[in-house]
Amino acid sequence: MLLALGFFLGGCYPQGPEYVEDLDVVITNHNADYDFSAKGTYAMPDKIVKITGNLSEGDAPVFIPDAVAAQILSQIESNMNDLGYTRVDIDADPDLLLTPASWETTTILYWYDYWYWWWGGYYPGWGYPPVNVSTYTTGTLVMALVDPTIESANGNPIPQWTGAINGLLTGVYDPIRVNKAIDQAYTQSPYLKTN
Amino acid sequence: MLVSTLVSAQNNLTTLQYSMGFGTGDLGDHISKTSFRGFTIDYRKLVQPNVGVGVDLGWNVFYEEMPYATYTTNGSTDITGKQYRYQNQFPMLVAADYYLKPGEKINPFAGLGIGTMYSLRNTDMNLYTLEQDAWHFALRPEVGALIQASPDFSFSVSAKYYHGFEAGDLASQGYFTLNFGFVFDGE
Repeated sequence: MLLALGFFLGGCYPQGPEYVEDLDVVITNHNADYDFSAKGTYAMPDKIVKITGNLSEGDAPVFIPDAVAAQILSQIESNMNDLGYTRVDIDADPDLLLTPASWETTTILYWYDYWYWWWGGYYPGWGYPPVNVSTYTTGTLVMALVDPTIESANGNPIPQWTGAINGLLTGVYDPIRVNKAIDQAYTQSPYLKTN
Repeated sequence: MLVSTLVSAQNNLTTLQYSMGFGTGDLGDHISKTSFRGFTIDYRKLVQPNVGVGVDLGWNVFYEEMPYATYTTNGSTDITGKQYRYQNQFPMLVAADYYLKPGEKINPFAGLGIGTMYSLRNTDMNLYTLEQDAWHFALRPEVGALIQASPDFSFSVSAKYYHGFEAGDLASQGYFTLNFGFVFDGE
């Protein structure tokens, strides 16, 4: 009876998220001491670099497809405009630099079902149990606002604001999910508003 | 003669109950939804016609799907997404009940349990879970009634309050339960 109750309760255990967009997350971090309201212009590249492991080995940078990048950059620019910023060329001495980047992470899960080696019919004697494998891939877009006049001790720029969006990849680019997440990154960053 | 027959038949009571949980305090703040997933198994040996001692086991699952919302940490980091909050409660107690009207068709009782309760809290967001757990020292008062259907079988209805004192990763955890079930009398 105890076992039956356990199985019954396990069978109706809450299942959690149902759709991939339920797992989307937006994270922002900012330097609370930085005065964004005193800034007005920013520069942003026309491409979005895709961070891969090969950059550290000196390979040429890889970029996400231009059509996708154009949509993302357009959404970022729209939000920056709403905050009062003006996009200028990199040579026009902008107050801020907005550097977008992206990467994909694939997680591989594998496990052995140890009960299988009991079944002589499948693996007579001490045969190896089968390996179960599943994978999932997440995509991340990072947007960093950097003040070109402020550097760390080692000469690297220090992001004054960082926005990151992350979610499961489905193999199909979904602009609704991406745009919603980009908009949310700016919605939860009202301190970015400039005069 | 019927009353004495019923009294002598009640020696070992095993109660199986469906349990609904209502979180209070820290648990109620974290998960406000009622738990409809739970059961208890209680065993009482009638050492006297109106006193039973034994053990209680239980499992209640609290769950709430939080809406898409923003959570701020340390003042400068904001995280937006959906949270899925789970909390499993496993009370394991020794208990004693006092039966007010042994042998009658409706037999109210009141009792107290003391022991331990394991709490396992999972807060899921994105592909990550924050897991917190604790083994609490627990107390559990209860009131209820046995409704006898036959000499060896009764229905049971009860209300319990579980209180686990602060321990491990969690503050004190408390919740009420309403329980409905069956009582089997073994000699």
